Amino acid sequence: MLLIDFGPLFPTLVSALLPFECLQSPFMQQALLGLMLLAPMAAIMGVQVVNFRMAFFADAISHSAFAGVAMGLIFAVNPHWTMLLFGLMVGLGIMVVQRRSSLSSDTVIGVFFSAVVAFGLAVVSRDRNAARDLQRFLYGDILTIDHDSLICLQILFVVIMLFQALGYNRMLYIGLNPLLAEAHRVRVAVYQYVFAGLLSLVVIFAVWAVGVLLVTALLIVPAATARNLARSAGSMFWWALLVSLTSAVTGLILSAQDWARTATGATIVLVASCWFALSLVLTCGRGRRQG
Amino acid sequence: MPETKNIAVIFEGVTVELGGVPILDRVTAQVPRGGCTAIVGPNGSGKTTLLLALLGQIPFTGRVVINREPGAAAPRIGYVPQRLAFDRGLPMTVMDFMVMGRQRLPLWFGCRSGYQAQALELLAMVQAEGIAKRQVGALSGGEMQRVLLALALQQKPDLLILDEPAAGVDYQGELIFCELLDRLRQQHSFTQLIVSHDLATVTHHSTYVICLNHKVMAAGPPRDVLTSETLTATFGLHMGLVASHAMPGAGPGCTAPCCTEKEDALD
Repeated sequence: MLLIDFGPLFPTLVSALLPFECLQSPFMQQALLGLMLLAPMAAIMGVQVVNFRMAFFADAISHSAFAGVAMGLIFAVNPHWTMLLFGLMVGLGIMVVQRRSSLSSDTVIGVFFSAVVAFGLAVVSRDRNAARDLQRFLYGDILTIDHDSLICLQILFVVIMLFQALGYNRMLYIGLNPLLAEAHRVRVAVYQYVFAGLLSLVVIFAVWAVGVLLVTALLIVPAATARNLARSAGSMFWWALLVSLTSAVTGLILSAQDWARTATGATIVLVASCWFALSLVLTCGRGRRQG
Repeated sequence: MPETKNIAVIFEGVTVELGGVPILDRVTAQVPRGGCTAIVGPNGSGKTTLLLALLGQIPFTGRVVINREPGAAAPRIGYVPQRLAFDRGLPMTVMDFMVMGRQRLPLWFGCRSGYQAQALELLAMVQAEGIAKRQVGALSGGEMQRVLLALALQQKPDLLILDEPAAGVDYQGELIFCELLDRLRQQHSFTQLIVSHDLATVTHHSTYVICLNHKVMAAGPPRDVLTSETLTATFGLHMGLVASHAMPGAGPGCTAPCCTEKEDALD
């Protein structure tokens, strides 16, 4: 049973608010629910990913999916769970090394990135069936999201919203300058580790939905659009939320149209990219008026 | 040497090595409570490293003690960095910047009126009340330094640490900033520890000087320490200072209490 058992409420709501034929089937409604949980999480975490310039970090976590699948094969466990565990370990590992070494953060991430991809490919290259399995994670498939994953998404959604409600302002402080934040009694290390752990989990869930290739886009594009449109730190949050939700819903609906029949993840990212292009035009217009 | 209760910070044999290169070599010095202590030295002499050791941001051997007054709570630190390296494209107003460290309620729900009033009060204190609605990324160097000072004062600091606060600010701006600091220090009775390579500023505003070139070359009141010999030993060049009062028709005069008091004494 889902944490919040939507029962007949969710289908009724979908029928009333989004009366599209393609959204009436249960698997599409399941996918819609999954996206409505995942997209806001990715967007809000994305705001901080952009502020911390951590896009490469998200990339490394998403590519650890290969190694996660490989671990699943080695231990004969469902690769979904090994991906999550491995992603979390890589995320925290990067943060530990980053904080303790004098190497620049992109060098540390680059080393982890290469190691996890190499490990995954080395294991998977021994097994042809596994290579086929990997393709699923390259492109993702939100339409096959199962009941257990939806439960996990709901739990993660609650945890991330709590973290953001308690730590959004402090995370802004750290994003501006960690040394200044630490001197002014913000617990920088605690926030950084919790953020890295939660971000790793969001990234791995996003890999299931949109695939390794597009996961960074799901994090970055709404946040980058929000940055162009917002005028304050608070409004950036709302813009990111709006862009991610509208992109997810519109992308899902468009991808299911007979004339489109495109991959859902890719369509969502394309809609978000249109939002970004629009934000650029608006920013240029604003700049000209001010100039 | 001041009595222990009158000492705000004690550095005891502080040594820092980076990649085998000694940056600080058994630095032992004290920062008197309530005054303005300046750390001076040439580039690469370890001034900022000493501050980082004080802030616990760099591994070191030796001991750094931030002394608390008898019966007082743990000392609070306010920090003004040399230059805030941040993303200037970040959509953030000065008000957001001031409130983010105080307000728990996330900024997506706006700034609460109480915190806004406090922020405006602090901005007024540093003569920056008119810029609350401006974007942080659009501030000039001088405005940014004043906002950073307001942010540091928000901590109600016992110890205010400034790392070359006037770097990148013109002479007039620097003078105004130092005057402001002197007034605030007298009003709020905090200890000020400032890193500077500008000897004129140091002579003018500090009450205690630590000359540093990987190790402490001299420490004491500016009149005793800023001698031609010490400066030559510290900076490696033949240097000397001209007493500002001896200069005919010297430039813009300082109106800070420290200077007016000095002038009264001379009269």
